[in-house]
Amino acid sequence: MERMPEFRLSRPATYAEAAALLAAEPGARLFAGGTDLVPNLRRGLESPSRLVDLGAVQGAAELDFGAGELVLGAGVTLAQLAADERIASQYAAIGEAARGAAGPGHRTVASLGGNLCLDTRCVFYNQSEWWRRSNGWCLKRGGDTCHVAPQGKRCHAAFSGDLAPALIALGAEVELLSGRGVRRLALADCYRDDGAAHLTLERDEVLTKVQVPAATAGWVSGYRKARVRGAMDFPLAGVACALGVSRGVIAGLRVALTGTNSRPLLLDGTQALVGKPLDAAGLAALGKLVHKQVSPMRTTVTPSNYRRLVAAVHAQRLVRELAGAA
Amino acid sequence: MKRDTVGKRLLSLTVNERTQQHAVADNALLLDVLRETLGLTGTKQGCDGGECGACTVLVDSQPQLACITLAASCEGRHIETIEHLSTHGRMSRLQQAFHEKLGTQCGFCTPGMIMAAEALLRRQSDPSEAQIREALAGNLCRCTGYVKIIESVQSAAGAGR
Amino acid sequence: MSTAHRTDPGDAALRGEPTPPRHTGAVGQRTPLIDGIEKVTGRARYTADLPFGQALVGRILRSPVAHGLIRGIDAAAARAMPGVRAVITGEDFAAPYGVIPIAQNEWPLARDRVRYRGEPVVAVAAIDEATAEAALRAIVLDIEPLPAYFSAAEARAEGALPLHEKKVGNIERQVEQDFGDVDAGFAAADLVLERHTAYAEVAHGQIELNAAVAAYEPEWGRLTTHSVTQVPYYLHLTLAQVLGMDASRIRVVKPFVGGGFGHRVEPLNFEMITAALARAAGGTVRTQLTREEGFLTHRGRPATDIRLKIGMKRTGEITAVDCEVVQRGGAYGGYGLVTILYAGALLHALYRLGAVRYRGFRVYANLPPCGAMRGHGAVDVRHAFESLLDEMAGELGLDPFALRRANLIGAPYRTLNDLQVNSYGIPACLAWAEKASGWKERRGKLPRGHGLGMACSHYVSGSAKPVHWSGEPHAVINLKLDFDGSITILTGASDIGQGSSTLLTQVVAEVLMLPMARIRVIATDSALTPKDNGSYSSRVSFMVGNAALRAAEELKRVLVTAASVRLQVTPEEIEWEGERCAVVGTDKSADFAQVVEAALAESGTLTVKGVWSTPPETQGGKFRGAAVGSTAGFSYAAQVVEVSVDEDTGAVKVEHVWAAHDCGFAINPLAVEGQVQGAVWMGMGQALSEETQYHEGLAIRPNMLDYRIPTIAESPPIDVHLVESLDPLGPFGAKEASEGALHGFPPALTNAICDAVGIRLGELPATPDRLLEAIHLRRREQRQQARRAAVASAAPAPALAAPASALDARASGQSMSAAASSEAAHVASGGRPVAPGGAR
Repeated sequence: MERMPEFRLSRPATYAEAAALLAAEPGARLFAGGTDLVPNLRRGLESPSRLVDLGAVQGAAELDFGAGELVLGAGVTLAQLAADERIASQYAAIGEAARGAAGPGHRTVASLGGNLCLDTRCVFYNQSEWWRRSNGWCLKRGGDTCHVAPQGKRCHAAFSGDLAPALIALGAEVELLSGRGVRRLALADCYRDDGAAHLTLERDEVLTKVQVPAATAGWVSGYRKARVRGAMDFPLAGVACALGVSRGVIAGLRVALTGTNSRPLLLDGTQALVGKPLDAAGLAALGKLVHKQVSPMRTTVTPSNYRRLVAAVHAQRLVRELAGAA
Repeated sequence: MKRDTVGKRLLSLTVNERTQQHAVADNALLLDVLRETLGLTGTKQGCDGGECGACTVLVDSQPQLACITLAASCEGRHIETIEHLSTHGRMSRLQQAFHEKLGTQCGFCTPGMIMAAEALLRRQSDPSEAQIREALAGNLCRCTGYVKIIESVQSAAGAGR
Repeated sequence: MSTAHRTDPGDAALRGEPTPPRHTGAVGQRTPLIDGIEKVTGRARYTADLPFGQALVGRILRSPVAHGLIRGIDAAAARAMPGVRAVITGEDFAAPYGVIPIAQNEWPLARDRVRYRGEPVVAVAAIDEATAEAALRAIVLDIEPLPAYFSAAEARAEGALPLHEKKVGNIERQVEQDFGDVDAGFAAADLVLERHTAYAEVAHGQIELNAAVAAYEPEWGRLTTHSVTQVPYYLHLTLAQVLGMDASRIRVVKPFVGGGFGHRVEPLNFEMITAALARAAGGTVRTQLTREEGFLTHRGRPATDIRLKIGMKRTGEITAVDCEVVQRGGAYGGYGLVTILYAGALLHALYRLGAVRYRGFRVYANLPPCGAMRGHGAVDVRHAFESLLDEMAGELGLDPFALRRANLIGAPYRTLNDLQVNSYGIPACLAWAEKASGWKERRGKLPRGHGLGMACSHYVSGSAKPVHWSGEPHAVINLKLDFDGSITILTGASDIGQGSSTLLTQVVAEVLMLPMARIRVIATDSALTPKDNGSYSSRVSFMVGNAALRAAEELKRVLVTAASVRLQVTPEEIEWEGERCAVVGTDKSADFAQVVEAALAESGTLTVKGVWSTPPETQGGKFRGAAVGSTAGFSYAAQVVEVSVDEDTGAVKVEHVWAAHDCGFAINPLAVEGQVQGAVWMGMGQALSEETQYHEGLAIRPNMLDYRIPTIAESPPIDVHLVESLDPLGPFGAKEASEGALHGFPPALTNAICDAVGIRLGELPATPDRLLEAIHLRRREQRQQARRAAVASAAPAPALAAPASALDARASGQSMSAAASSEAAHVASGGRPVAPGGAR
């Protein structure tokens, strides 16, 4: 099999130790379930000098439904999220996103934190070293041309994690720990629109918790994923929606997408639908917002225009479905 | 060319109820340790990482992909491979069903498929067809079209495993 | 989930047929595989599992360039590296190779020129993976690029550089076959339609990664190779040829193999490379390819463009067929000649046709070489054909089933291209598929977006003329019986999961009336087992099954004779019952052990041979290329596919498949069902989601995530019904069961999509993006039509009509009206430009 790069493995017992290890060694990388990292390592996409295995950190996988908000440890697995009944009933988008990610063998170990920090993807990037060398490398790694948009100067690799849009739609915040202390950040602000540097986290920061505001009375949420096969595939476009309806009128609407841009995208302009009942004009307006704000590029084997179209279709369907259920 | 860039450790691994110490590199994949160090070749490699499910094993009764699992992160866990399902030389009900109902043809996806099904039946002894499909969605088969795989799992479940 | 039912043979092919055998619990019984237990317990050893101790690691350096002249290979640093035991190049081989003797233009490692990105150029054997990889990194390739061609059109264009000597226009093979008067046939037709269709290249996707282990004994000058091959015999010959070794010094063993589907029906470069490394290193070398390398090894179904014209009478009778096929074959010959011949040959033998004109072009391109893949050569053509039949049925107001029934063959029958049809189960297949799917009751009355489509298909049970025309029998089986009373079947036939070893055991058990536990199979070890041509074109059940039948009959004769001597009667007075035999009309008997003892006393260990060859009248005609398509027995199938289409996303869900397959006789109904289901499902993969793709000749989808073989999540229930037409030449009447049902799925699917939403896609796979584009294109066309109509009538513009006449058509119980359907067809296929040899 393709050889793994050589590294040392550390298994700290606390997040603080993990952060210290990151700070001490520039080549150190965090590692939880490894379902994204290890395939990339096998392809030679990264060669960390040290892997910091978070699997032994105590208390990393707690789900806390205390009053006021839901707190998820970054070590909670996708399998846990998919199976939890309270999540299914109160934060459906999270459960649906977790359930549809990859396959059962991945979800057993794949962590929330890892899924939020998934590397961006592109057909010119997720290839073997021989392939990438034959193709002259690329802007994201080893070269200076983005093969998706050769005239441009940025990387267009797409963010494709399923949990991020669900949590962004639910207004989640994260806690980041480093040697400098703890800081809180809106999840949406953890990302920037650059396929080669899509996380705003500092190199030595560890994402430790995700906090979701309490489900507002009447808010419902959901996540839909467009893909060709019924399992395993990353989203061609994934849409999450959180919707509040009060007396037949939309009280709040947040729509977030994945798979279409270099970062998960919170749709701008959904406020325009607030205060009215959901009707055909509103859905059409929603579709237009999606069309305008997603910018899929030729990073997947499925044409980008299709991904734009289905993103809008799924957004419209999901909102309509949730409005009907609310 | 020897570089001192790879960590090594004495790893205590519990595989198929046997606990042994092995000198294992930090970057060693569980699949390679199972197949090459322990000689348990029942677990297969079918892809370049996490795409086909042929390497599915059980870790604490949950399905996991051995080809993208670091052996070093398995200390303290109970790993089971296909070789563990027979007891005293007798196949389990699930193995028997795959055999009798032709859930296996070329047999290469079979160990991973059976382990994924085993994980399902341990937590859900009478699964619906939808649950079977969901549990096996990470295991690719190229021979059967999955029809007789589903029948095999149903047969094993129906017979009380 | 339903299971198949057996049926009574209900076909004219029964005439003259020996009475069905008295089944004693072997043939005809649902039989789990004799090696199934090893598979489910993990004990089965595939090539990568074989314990060879500390073998050297073999690795291959592949060309990054699509087309170029090799100016230099600097491997000095690699050779000097500690732990590197061998470095070889194309110069280390004695001869080029290719599975077809007259088209051998490939070297195991490229020599002088590279012709595709991924082509093996240098190989190393080293003490471990790290060293092997370091050695590859240290090798410098100096390749002077040449113009490269990635489509058939580019390769054929004027001024294109030939990839191979003397192949002007990069045509590997051009086929022209004319049968009957096609022009007169079109003139006599009431309806003539012509369509262009385009097919993406697909890959086998077998789950087992490629691997080979070669052990060379320098003291003896002997080589033993274990490998994933489906064709140990061809591999053996090829190793001798490329290594310049005497074949007697080579031994080829095939262990458990994790699927083939045609990927491994020709000797593959890594197998020869591993052997050469072993010889150069003087030891044992193991090579394990990555999944990416498997895609680069390729040998898949070529990207194909088809122009098909059919002429038909109002009754549905097909008067003329004119078909042109262009296959983009990749960089080397491989099976190419055969593939382009099958495409034309299997236009025939499914229906009666008035006249046929076939033009085929197999074109080289700078891409991984194509080869044989399940259904070989005929899959894309069958899609074009069954789709056009469906469209013409709609135009004529004929039900698709009725149209097929207007063109039935009556066996025995000699086709226009001199193929022999002795048994023909299509009527029974059609009847069952029609009934089981509720076709008459439901078609045209399903809810919006739901549809039913049907198609027929067929395939050969082995090529009646073998690849190597040596004059030898086409199949040989040895049986051994010795003091222990066990019978060993020695066969060169490759069980790749289809259950051939089980089938042979059943045959022998049936004839000898012995329990299967008395019988073992030793297979595919050239030191032990008789040569077999290999597991391809579905020859094994028919040919090797017949050889086993004859061997068992001969062994029985020997045993009956021995029993008669022991019991002091004539052989005719012996009643053979397997575990014992008795003298008719008396209570004198002997048990099996005693009979064996008696037989051995005569001659010692019994070894009995059975051989079989295809009768000359099944070997095809005398014209060039006639052997391809010839067979001793065609399988037949009919299937119905039900789909639901999401018109907003283009997603197609296959709800259910009903497939009837005429396998002649199901020696193992369990295995036959499994093979038919697998074949249908593989057709689904090609029809819905599988395609290779290249970026300047570099494979973009060389993994199991982007090369989308269906998961269990989207795979449908597949109900199988076995029709037994009892072929007069097949063993117990059996014909093939592994390929014939595949070809029917893709057209049944696109016919169902057309039924569901009125769009007939002109290309495969029918991915959501392609279907959605066609749907949107149609909506735009309809809006434009509505605007034009409004302007023309100067009336207020009508409310936007519901898309297409699909709904109207449903109400009137027919598929779309002729005009709209032709337009839709043009619209659909015009949705993406289809240039001749069109690449994407």
